[in-house]
Amino acid sequence: MSDNRQLLADMAEGLFAELAESDFEAAWPRLAEAGFSTLLVPEDKGGFGGDWGDVLAVLRLAGRNAVPAPVAEPILAHHVLALAGIEAPQGFVSIAAPGCRVPWGRHADAVVSVEDGKASLYMVDACTFTEGESPAGEPLDAVTFTGTAAAGAPCEADLAALGAFARVAQASGALEAAFTLAIEHVNQRQQFGRPLAKFQAVQQAMAEFSEEAAAVDASAAGCAAALDGLDEAGFEIASAKLRTNIAIDRATPIAHRVHGAIGFTMEYALNRYTRRLMSWRSEFGNDAHWAGVLGRRVATLGGKGLWVEMTRRSDRLIQPA
Amino acid sequence: MQIFPIRPFNPPGDIPALRQQVRDLVAQHESHWQLESRANCWFSFDEAFSKALGKAGLLAMNWPKEYGGHERTMLERYVVLEELLALGAPAGLHWIADRQTGPLLIRYGTEAQKQKYLPGMARGEIYACIGLSEPNAGSDLASVRTSARKTPEGWRVNGQKVWTSGAHRSHAALTLVRTEEGSERHAGLSQLMIDLDTPGITIRPIVDMTGSHHFNEIFFEDALIPLDALVGTEGNGWKQVVAELALERSGPERYLSSHALLVALIDAVGPEPAPDIAQLIGRLTAELWTLRQMSMSTAAKLDAGEDPVVEAAIVKDLGNAYEQALPRLVQAAVDADLADRTDLSRLLVWLLVQSPSYSLRGGTPEVLRGIIAKGLGLR
Repeated sequence: MSDNRQLLADMAEGLFAELAESDFEAAWPRLAEAGFSTLLVPEDKGGFGGDWGDVLAVLRLAGRNAVPAPVAEPILAHHVLALAGIEAPQGFVSIAAPGCRVPWGRHADAVVSVEDGKASLYMVDACTFTEGESPAGEPLDAVTFTGTAAAGAPCEADLAALGAFARVAQASGALEAAFTLAIEHVNQRQQFGRPLAKFQAVQQAMAEFSEEAAAVDASAAGCAAALDGLDEAGFEIASAKLRTNIAIDRATPIAHRVHGAIGFTMEYALNRYTRRLMSWRSEFGNDAHWAGVLGRRVATLGGKGLWVEMTRRSDRLIQPA
Repeated sequence: MQIFPIRPFNPPGDIPALRQQVRDLVAQHESHWQLESRANCWFSFDEAFSKALGKAGLLAMNWPKEYGGHERTMLERYVVLEELLALGAPAGLHWIADRQTGPLLIRYGTEAQKQKYLPGMARGEIYACIGLSEPNAGSDLASVRTSARKTPEGWRVNGQKVWTSGAHRSHAALTLVRTEEGSERHAGLSQLMIDLDTPGITIRPIVDMTGSHHFNEIFFEDALIPLDALVGTEGNGWKQVVAELALERSGPERYLSSHALLVALIDAVGPEPAPDIAQLIGRLTAELWTLRQMSMSTAAKLDAGEDPVVEAAIVKDLGNAYEQALPRLVQAAVDADLADRTDLSRLLVWLLVQSPSYSLRGGTPEVLRGIIAKGLGLR
């Protein structure tokens, strides 16, 4: 990790841990003040000038701390605005990807959408929200644009794909947090005269859990590398979101299984991670969506073409010594 | 703690050109390869191809030049290996020597042993097999009973090895034997590099459930093995074997075994597949892409001199699960007539029957998860 990214991660970790048990009203001003929103905005446009590796580091920590406020959405919104050359408004800007609800929409000061190669910025008075909630109790609001856009400009960004990457990054952190809780629990909890960790069946289940968390980490890192190194990362994002969804399917039941009834209470922290994971699996494309997107893309490559394409993509990321 | 911090896979040199070299060589040889052999790289034999790989400098890639190697990096070797596997090239003859026996001799062998075996292995002319498993020592490897008694004339070896892949096509077997009488478990074990034409050695085939012969039994009846066949230190065999097994866990061979069927599936359904088949292809691709990320990251750690035991076990367990599930998922989703002779059906049948072997070679899921659990501090 570069020194800059380490500093960023240390700052994020400290703040996110503080905000972990707060709410939107308390957390958002602190997040805004810290300046995460402009993480991807170039320095000459007044931003942090970070890359997707930095975004992964920050969102992974946001997921690990179950921050109850939007971290990913303003980063993506400001990124799209900068790409399109639209000046960002004050306050919290969320994202409206095609066919997706707007996370934290009711709290937004403005919403960015990208459709048919065009980015549009709608101020909140041009938006009508139908409120909804995620399984984790977080706002997931449907938006109708009832007024005109404050600005619009050509933009090729795939907002649904970028949203999917954000959920992969957050899920990698949430899985680690759930895994850490589970490890602590099986080491401490005594049953039948010994710690749960000493039962081979429990060891095997925890090993499987770690494999799934590892797969998400690897896929998230591969995505960030592609976003930073390639002009187009659709293949990597589709693969990573689908693999993450599969990992959520396999790992969250293990997290709960080894915790027994203790993990099923509102009081115990596990549900803060697993309920978000349940939601993120559907947000910005569920398994069937990304499997279809990826499968149709691969079908056009032909059997041998799949391998040629996979190696071509990864070889483009190799840094000359 | 991040469970799997990723390390960029950054081989030196012109990697696309290296891939093209392998693809061109395969194109020159592939016309007579059987379809099923493409889904069975480890156990398919083509001596001319093994020698051609040697001649092209694509075997022994990271060995010292003085022993016929090419002093390229492990990561360049990885690229060659994954190309060969993805293209279904027959690697069975040189596979073991190139992957583990040669590297083990480089690390522990005497100068004479290195001179005797390595240059021929690098040329694709000398082949090796692994004498580990015994009738009562499979996953529980430490219960090895084959004995070697030291006499002035040499080691007197008695006992039996089993499940020895490719022994009938190999020149030598790196064999784990009990050199200390009465020793138990991990103590008193040593490795001997045994030439298989030695009197007192009998090799018998075991036909597997695909109808193929690649497993063998090896019987040692008072076989007299030269004293200088000892590899490494007497009594240090267990440690050496553990190091040897680490060389075979995280490579691309742990998730590409069924790749030929994915290729055939994509070709069979064409550019506009039905939605459920497109989703299946997408799902398999996502798993494949992720496994490759993990495997390459583990290779980069090995290349950096780290010892990623847990990562390697994770790659192998997930990889085996994927390559075993692939034929079953295709069977469940595609209306294939198993008795017809289309490429898709032939590969599907072959892999349905062959794939149970993937999780037994190199450690079962239970063994691998035990290694992971140990790494997690649970045992």
